[in-house]
Amino acid sequence: MILRSWFDGLDRVRRAPAVLGGVFVLTLAAALPLAITMRGAIVAHLGSSLAANTAADAVNYDWWQEFTSQASGLGTTFTPAVIGFAATLDSLSSVLDWRRPMAPIAGALATYLLAWLFLSGGILDRYARQRPTRAHGFFAACGVFFWRFLRLGIVAGALYWALFTYVHRWLLDDAYEWLIVDVAAERVAFLWRFGLYAVFGAALVAVNIAMDYAKVRLVVEDRRSAIGALSAALGFLGRNPGRAFGLYALNGLIFLGLLAVWALVAPGAGGAGLSMWMGFAATQLYLLARLALKLQFMASQTALFQRSLAHADYAAAPLPAWPDSPAAETIIGG
Amino acid sequence: MPRPALAMSVLVLLCLIEVEGRQSPVQTFAQMEAGAMSPRNATYRIDVRLDHAARTLTGLETIRWRNISSNPASELQFHLYWNAWRDLESTFMRERRLAPGFTPPRDDAWGSVEVKKITLGRFDLTSQQRFLAPDDGNMADRTVMAVPLPYAVQPNEAIEVVVEWTAKIPRPFARTGYVGNYYFIAQWFPKVGVLENGGWNTHQFHSATEFYSDYGVYDVRMTVPAGFVVGASGLEMERRMNGDGTETHRYVGNDIHDFAWTTSPDYLDSGRMFEHPSLPAVRMRLLLQPEHAGQAARHFDATAAAIRYYGEFFGPYPYEYITVIDPAFQSGAGGMEYPTLFTAGTRWLAPRRVAVPESVTIHEAGHQWWYGMVGSNEFEHAWMDEGLNTFSQARTLEAAGIANNLGLRFFGGFVPWVIDDVQLVRATDLNRLTGYRDNAEADIQATPTFTYWPGTATFITYNKTALWLHMLEKRHGWPLFQKVMYTYWGRWRFRHPQPEDFFAVVNEVTGEDMTWFFDQVYRSSNVFDYGVQDFASRTVRLKPDTTDNGYRTIVVARRFGEAIYPVDVVTTFRNGEKVTERWDGRDRRAIYTYDRPSQAVSVQVDPDRLLLLDVNYTNNSAALEPRGGEAGLKWSLKWMTWLQDLMLTWAFFV
Repeated sequence: MILRSWFDGLDRVRRAPAVLGGVFVLTLAAALPLAITMRGAIVAHLGSSLAANTAADAVNYDWWQEFTSQASGLGTTFTPAVIGFAATLDSLSSVLDWRRPMAPIAGALATYLLAWLFLSGGILDRYARQRPTRAHGFFAACGVFFWRFLRLGIVAGALYWALFTYVHRWLLDDAYEWLIVDVAAERVAFLWRFGLYAVFGAALVAVNIAMDYAKVRLVVEDRRSAIGALSAALGFLGRNPGRAFGLYALNGLIFLGLLAVWALVAPGAGGAGLSMWMGFAATQLYLLARLALKLQFMASQTALFQRSLAHADYAAAPLPAWPDSPAAETIIGG
Repeated sequence: MPRPALAMSVLVLLCLIEVEGRQSPVQTFAQMEAGAMSPRNATYRIDVRLDHAARTLTGLETIRWRNISSNPASELQFHLYWNAWRDLESTFMRERRLAPGFTPPRDDAWGSVEVKKITLGRFDLTSQQRFLAPDDGNMADRTVMAVPLPYAVQPNEAIEVVVEWTAKIPRPFARTGYVGNYYFIAQWFPKVGVLENGGWNTHQFHSATEFYSDYGVYDVRMTVPAGFVVGASGLEMERRMNGDGTETHRYVGNDIHDFAWTTSPDYLDSGRMFEHPSLPAVRMRLLLQPEHAGQAARHFDATAAAIRYYGEFFGPYPYEYITVIDPAFQSGAGGMEYPTLFTAGTRWLAPRRVAVPESVTIHEAGHQWWYGMVGSNEFEHAWMDEGLNTFSQARTLEAAGIANNLGLRFFGGFVPWVIDDVQLVRATDLNRLTGYRDNAEADIQATPTFTYWPGTATFITYNKTALWLHMLEKRHGWPLFQKVMYTYWGRWRFRHPQPEDFFAVVNEVTGEDMTWFFDQVYRSSNVFDYGVQDFASRTVRLKPDTTDNGYRTIVVARRFGEAIYPVDVVTTFRNGEKVTERWDGRDRRAIYTYDRPSQAVSVQVDPDRLLLLDVNYTNNSAALEPRGGEAGLKWSLKWMTWLQDLMLTWAFFV
């Protein structure tokens, strides 16, 4: 069931390239305004200096440090962590170590997450239907489910907030410090820390998977109540823990595999011109793969739900008939 | 020895001292025993017992102290450093509390030391102890203790004082304390201050400064649980099993001014010889944490590099042994120097290309020269050891050709990642320009170090000094500057030099009065910032009566900062011609105009970067066809992908 759902999900992602293209453009567009601001700051700092030559051809670390020490706001985030795989480690580490992003970055992140929340309804609807819904149908579904997802998002946000505000502090500050107070070997502390990351990560995953299936049920069953969908998702997870968590683990492992490959091939600083564009293209390809994997999570979870709820006319893939709502389709079919 | 022979020996010795170098202005009677390298005027015999269960030390010490000042001494002053961790009101903790985000130590973290009895012959001085606060008047501070002497100790007269004391070992503070079975015991015994010609120099323990003491012989017996490995200053002379499950280790160190030790059952104990065609052999001993077993060669190689290059640059390491301690995780003991022993500092995951264990090891081994042998006052002039040593460390790392990439750490600092594109270089990275740049005006270096702002003291002490020493090297060339350094080292080893002593050696050896330089870098906190204010190269008719066109190039070089240093201004023309102007840098600006058939393409102020203290080097150059746009595009794209990655990671939550 897990593998079939996974391949089913893969097929659904593959058959909807516009969705992948859309979220890719979103990810690019969301980052672009701040990147333009950053470019302005770098160009202004370099001015007509010859330091730009080395900065363009390779890394001028001396200039870089000067830039960072004179920068404020966004400029302070321009560190060597932007090079290659360090960027990925930095972003994962910033979440697990709960480094709060600075205001302009937080603003961009909030906008991006809101856009994802909006699009998620259309994406799940598209994957549930397994047929093209066209832009009108896609955005109509986005609109229909946005407010429901927003309500669900508030619940999710509250849970994540509690996790980061309390559980993270209890685990990775208080408990960690208590556990290693007499530890004189770093590898032991390392094991404790990564164990606690795992516990915290498991809590995040638990919330995440519940929210994922709540969204799936909201869309597939055309539910109105976010709380009801969450409750139904918990019921589903309770009845199908092996399948749901197994599928999540499979996708998670693929994510780790992707990171491992990226760690090996991520381009370094490079120079200006062709090598810059090749490096940029490679990085965008990696981001595209991550986006595809995120969509694969959504599509395979939708497939699993539709396969698991053994009521072919209710929650299985609906027949391609109007209107859009799977529930309505079920009624028509019935 | 017959009297005439003895008198003759003393006379010869005094003559030798006079010939060898100048007398320290701070102390007068620097007579030395036969075979001694130092005055040996503060000699300790200590018996100490570690109570592992109670985390305490009990000690009995006999101090033979000789007054080598020019004045009689009517009291003795002692450092009781561990009282800095007695409570939150010590000067050390008050200074620590100035740091943002300070969190008070755990209840079981505190440490202290208490003198139970102090006697001088038949005189019991115990009840006459009083605490002093010469630096800040903080009467809650108990890190300096004084007792009046029953009689004045005349110059060159010696006394023997016996001190009984107990100490509570703290959890790690300032590289001292315990974690689990690991102990690092430093600044641990009642220690006599330094009596100078102007009186006692016994500072309180401060959070941002270190120590100062006289040379002597340390004969120390440490009793620890049986099976615990012991490492200490000096050399192990004897080991004895006691019947009570303890073991006593006796170490003796000659001509040293401090004694630190460590013990743990977990150390991996190994050794290697340092050998060199023209330097004395040194037995290197390494006490390594088991989790760093694979890094022994890195520690030995780095220690050997320090002994070799410092030896070649400044003078040979005179002791036959050196002990490298790899401190336990969270002991906070990493990167600290003690005579003939130092703590290195590495991580469980320590990539080869990131020279973290190497740079720390070289730095701390290097302190045997700048601190160990040249015993400057770290309370007042910390730059004289830390700054000189940072400069020397950078030079050694470069000379040894040790790979040194930038390393970043993630996930609580446990996971390292090497940035292959960034190779750290000596002039800017190893001399630590960045830290200085951000804090250039924090303090005037000439003020006593213990009065520096604690949060930025290190940048003025380490970074600024290393940078201006490298400037002197660039100005005079390494052969001459090396002569400066080894003359200074040779003249002041086993003595207590003052800043003026170093400056005098620079002036003497270079043959140039560099007072103007030290006024800028040492007696001022002004910043250096030279740059290009304007640069243009436009077509003009070169001669009125001809049609020959050429270019008029105008360069305006500017002194943006208050500090002054001569710089070159180099203009490069399209035909490859370069014109160099030597600007004394005194005025606010210098304007140069060139009429040439070729257009200028760029101008650089200080192109060879002789002025390493320039806090803003980007503005030092200008190009007619700048590539800032290209660089901006490349790096903003990199940054954008970092942001996209971050966004995708956060997208996990929706």
